[in-house]
Amino acid sequence: MKKEFNQHKIKEFLRSYGTFFALLAIILVFSALRPSTFATLGNFVNITKQMSILAVCALGATLIMCVEEFDLSIGTIASFGGILAAKLAVAGCSFIVCLLAATAACALLGYMNGFIVTKFGVMSFIITLASSTMIYGFSYWLSDGATIFSGIPKSFSALGTGKALGIPYLTMVMVLLAVVFYFMLKRTVFGRSLYAIGGNTSASAVSGINVKRCKAMAFMLGGAMAGVAGVLMASRLGSAHPTGADSLCLNAFAAIFIGKTLFKEGVPNVIGTIVGVAVFSVLSNGLTILTVPSYIQNIITGLVIMLAVVVQKVTSTQRI
Amino acid sequence: MLEVKNICKRFGDMYALNHFNLSMEKGTVHGLVGENGAGKSTLIKILTGVYHLDSGEIFIDGKKVEIHAPTQSQALGISVIHQDRNLVPAFNGVENVYLGRRGLHRLGVAVDFAGMKKKILSKMQEYEIEVPLDKLARELTPPQKTLLEIVRAIMMDCKLLILDEPTVALTDKETEVLFRLIEKLRTKGTAILYVSHRMDEIFQLTDKITVMKNGELVGTVETALTDRDSIIAMMTDNWKSMESVRRKKEFGDAVLEVQHIATNDGRVKNASFCAHRGEILGIFGLGGSGRTELLESIYGLRGIKQGTILRDGKPCEKFSPEISLKNGMVIINEDRRGMALVPSLSIRENIVLSTLQNYKGKFLYNTKREMEDVVQKIEELGIKTTGPSQTVSELSGGNQQKVVFAKALMSNPQVFLCDEPTQAVDVKTRAEIHEMLRKYADEGSAVVFVTSDLKEMLEVADNILIISNGYTKEMLKNKNLSAEQVLKHCYAEN
Repeated sequence: MKKEFNQHKIKEFLRSYGTFFALLAIILVFSALRPSTFATLGNFVNITKQMSILAVCALGATLIMCVEEFDLSIGTIASFGGILAAKLAVAGCSFIVCLLAATAACALLGYMNGFIVTKFGVMSFIITLASSTMIYGFSYWLSDGATIFSGIPKSFSALGTGKALGIPYLTMVMVLLAVVFYFMLKRTVFGRSLYAIGGNTSASAVSGINVKRCKAMAFMLGGAMAGVAGVLMASRLGSAHPTGADSLCLNAFAAIFIGKTLFKEGVPNVIGTIVGVAVFSVLSNGLTILTVPSYIQNIITGLVIMLAVVVQKVTSTQRI
Repeated sequence: MLEVKNICKRFGDMYALNHFNLSMEKGTVHGLVGENGAGKSTLIKILTGVYHLDSGEIFIDGKKVEIHAPTQSQALGISVIHQDRNLVPAFNGVENVYLGRRGLHRLGVAVDFAGMKKKILSKMQEYEIEVPLDKLARELTPPQKTLLEIVRAIMMDCKLLILDEPTVALTDKETEVLFRLIEKLRTKGTAILYVSHRMDEIFQLTDKITVMKNGELVGTVETALTDRDSIIAMMTDNWKSMESVRRKKEFGDAVLEVQHIATNDGRVKNASFCAHRGEILGIFGLGGSGRTELLESIYGLRGIKQGTILRDGKPCEKFSPEISLKNGMVIINEDRRGMALVPSLSIRENIVLSTLQNYKGKFLYNTKREMEDVVQKIEELGIKTTGPSQTVSELSGGNQQKVVFAKALMSNPQVFLCDEPTQAVDVKTRAEIHEMLRKYADEGSAVVFVTSDLKEMLEVADNILIISNGYTKEMLKNKNLSAEQVLKHCYAEN
């Protein structure tokens, strides 16, 4: 009896923190294989920098997943944000103006998605698929389909490439936004409302929560964060391409799915999202150091996502 | 026919079933009663293959069987009809009846819907059941859905039919139809396990009654040899049947006045009433009479086409749950898990759901004050829980309903709109809820109370308003009123 009780506890513990241990395991394996190149402080700092852009994008998308919606356009929104910022930079705007303008424009695009989804009660999956095509059109139009790089001032790249006290600015931005989003979801009326809506939309509406407004807000913040991610990417590369950030979308949602498996509630959460993003980045970094070809990296990354989700599902469905 | 021996089922370190025994014969109706959390649902889930038993044996017709999955249970001739119905909303009657089974085919490929329909119709005729088979399941009324599920069970040559609170959504007239059908099934040799909180039905229908308490068998008795009080005494430890408590019957001002309202969807056609401070106003109507829709439209969940609603004499202009809550109005929904609670969230999060704004700090949400209020409400209502962070879905029905009340109380309401507030809760909680409603009324609130249980209505309400087919009818003073008198008004021609 006592033993079984313990087993139950262990299982619950594994279910809640399994994803975290998986990340640790991956880190340990790479550290064992390449102790002198992978397991260095410098490389770990590097990983946090590599993961920051995806993390920023995924943080915003976490809100959308909280209300059980999807936004397939965050990738193209991010690309659009990058293009817009680069265009403005070429036109002579300071970086901060570029960042704010692009973020505002992307927030608007996100809000547009949210407005249509909530106003007409249509499936976000389809609507955002459509808007993603549309936004791609905007980006292409704005950039004439080419990479924007000439004429971008050096100052534009400061945030994406610089560091202070040995810590990249990008890492700082990620940590700062993660903290803000953590408290926003856990400790504000808005965050609590999002989780309530995700749990039961009808009951939330009965309880006087403005479901439509909250959902639209989630889409808006998702769009804004995608925009920030796009600008950060352009800043890091010193250039912007009309499809440059498109891949962020699926990776962000994959990271959130992995993150959902962390903690027993099984809902999207900030710490989980960051861990999910870290799994991606550590894998990619480690495999690159092992000089594994990129197509093999893709296969391994795909398998790891599958494994993470399946293992969690298997351990969480008790045999009852 | 069915023999359950020594079965045990444990969740964590809690026994949901503890060495439980049950024996049922062909062609009998067997009642199963017990408070919420007594283990009835667990037993049903084991018999239908949803849960797997930890130890013990199940015999069907003398043969030992293992039930690992719902399909196995069906193959053994066990069918269950739940409170939450199991129909595919977008499928019609024929498709639903043949769901999960191999249907008829022409030339081995094309599905023969006409042939299937014919087969179903002949069975329906045999059992005198009337359900429109061409309508989609979502277009059916609750009783039609129940009947359709029974048709499905009959088509599967069901030997043991489990009915889990089948009359919850049914009116008396519909219940009668169901009871006639049960009688028919019994004479054809089907064994029926009838699970209900409604004692009248148990005594009207069953041959034997099995009483459960805390996952254990208290005893099985012949229905003819026992009475209501002794069954209740078996179910509870030290609880006595409660009589209606006399309250002061002087009402205050009108807090809620509804004048000639009609809803967009036409479910409420012309409803008027006035609820005063200190009054428990019962609204009684048969299923489909618009009682739920009336409450929902007042609360702002349904669009109102015309009419006026006055709160404290002031006309309301806009309607939404947000505004209603601000105006001191709360609703206790009929559909607890669907409309009132977020089952995946904790007790704490559910209780403050409608009052989140109250805990808005300068930057962050005030979790300390929230926790104090939640703990206080848990104590006040006597919610049985391991703590405020326990997930609501883990609570028993009665305790879940108390959480709904706790949430409602948080906004200091003046008007309670209660739709079937004691549905599927145990006897004890039911009495506690009645007590609470009386208390709120005595403290100066108005309680609008809807129940399809006429006996309960006569026990709780001060005045009873009849609603029929979307129209409000007579207002009856609940004094020396008999069930027949009330029903007569309900069945009266328009």
